[in-house]
Amino acid sequence: MLITGIKSRPVYDRLQPLPGGRRHIVAGQGSGGRAMLRLLDDMAGLDRPITLLYSQESFSGQDFLAQLQQAHPHLPLQVLASNQALIEALKALLIDARMGTRLYLAGSESFLGSAMQVATHFDLNRDEVLREHSGTLVRRVWCVHCDTYTENVTQRLYDCPGCGLTLVVRDHYSRRLAAFQAVKADAEVPGELPPAEELDT
Amino acid sequence: MNIQFNPDETYRDDYTFANSPETIARAPFPFPDDDYMYSMNLEPHVSVGDGAFRAAFDIDEHYISECRDRAITLEKDPGMHYVSAPHMMEAQWDLLELIMESYARDYPQYFSLEREGRQWHWTNRLLGIDDRFTFGDPATLPYEPMEYVTRQAQGDWVLQEERDGTLYWGAGIATQRADYSLRFNLGMSWEEFHGPVPLVKEIGMLDRALKFLLRLRTGHPVRRLNWSLTVNPRLEVSAESLPEWAPDRTIVTAENAGKLVYLRIELQPLHRLPRSNAIVFPIRTYLLSLEDIATHPAWARRMHRVLRDLNQQLVDYKGFSRYRDAAVEWLSQYDDETKA
Repeated sequence: MLITGIKSRPVYDRLQPLPGGRRHIVAGQGSGGRAMLRLLDDMAGLDRPITLLYSQESFSGQDFLAQLQQAHPHLPLQVLASNQALIEALKALLIDARMGTRLYLAGSESFLGSAMQVATHFDLNRDEVLREHSGTLVRRVWCVHCDTYTENVTQRLYDCPGCGLTLVVRDHYSRRLAAFQAVKADAEVPGELPPAEELDT
Repeated sequence: MNIQFNPDETYRDDYTFANSPETIARAPFPFPDDDYMYSMNLEPHVSVGDGAFRAAFDIDEHYISECRDRAITLEKDPGMHYVSAPHMMEAQWDLLELIMESYARDYPQYFSLEREGRQWHWTNRLLGIDDRFTFGDPATLPYEPMEYVTRQAQGDWVLQEERDGTLYWGAGIATQRADYSLRFNLGMSWEEFHGPVPLVKEIGMLDRALKFLLRLRTGHPVRRLNWSLTVNPRLEVSAESLPEWAPDRTIVTAENAGKLVYLRIELQPLHRLPRSNAIVFPIRTYLLSLEDIATHPAWARRMHRVLRDLNQQLVDYKGFSRYRDAAVEWLSQYDDETKA
């Protein structure tokens, strides 16, 4: 769970079956597989189609693919090598989605944010999507100066791979960009940096 | 009442911007007391006096120069300072109508609007614009309606749409924004975009203000004032360009603060829009140097006390931690209490 003082950070959910759904899409990556397994247990006996998407990309090396396959051999499961590939597959699924589709997301904050961009694009409402955060507290960060996104940022200060500036991560999150904001850390006096610290510790 | 315009001022590089005594006198000084904390300072936006509260949307001697500065900023970085979600087009037309009607009504010597059905004829004599277009048809304008009309308006403008019992940023033009990113904020809800503001949530003001605004009705606008400090009369102080302007914070001393430090006053006359039900947040900025303020000694005395005693969290958020002491020291010469 992400409980911090960051007011613009989304409040995430706990995955549970959404009543009224006619078709359920369950998508996750890495350690999000644990939440997928729990949700699928809770959905046992549900007589509605379920589609699974799972990406094996993981910052912490967690992989639940074998468990998903063993526990639910009858469910259609798309396995993707990267989160980006999963996002593309989700897009393709939602293009044909009809009323009654329910979407469940589980994984890192970066993954949830990127998948929510797709869900929002297809006008899924707040009561049609659930998001469960799992894994580490790494952040996806947007450089305000050169528009570069950096995944898996764990430190308050980091060097932008786009423009090379040393940036400080602000505790401010944009759902539209699915990212935190970072600005030049020594903007006032070159070389005078704020203290380095680990984020969210 | 005619305005003597200063058509050639700059808000960058050599900073030739300067206020006349009349413009200083009519500025909406934002401190009602000797100490400052956020408050529900919303009041009906009714015409009062002949200063900044007379017109629906105030213009002053800087109108022409400010519009030029906006054009320079927009041209420099396309897509950075004007952003609109695709579904905001109806609200954009609402805004175009509101600004044109207001300017033409309040400043008939400078602006006129003639309408025959959807065929509109707009004249802006200050910028030499004479355009005919079809209301509702974006193809008949050189820019999207919001960008078109706000290129001819002082201040920043943000359109907020109402959904799920809150307000979301749907579109904005912001060439004078105080250290935030428009692209980043677009799509944010009321709670999200106020996230970085200290204390405002804790004192319960954020929820009360939202409840109040959700009841805002067309034709009954409200206004509020906000403020910050900045170094130099620079309008473009976005998060994106932080490396260009943040170093100026280090050059302020107790000797030069009177010339370098500017009070940025934001007058925000909020209107509900009739077709889209969106709310427009105009942020009309007035820049007064501390020397300008000192031409009204009562203002200087009050501002000395406000800055001296301001909560440090607000100082940090407003970005003047590095030169607060210098500004306070410069202003102290106008406070008898400290001199004695």
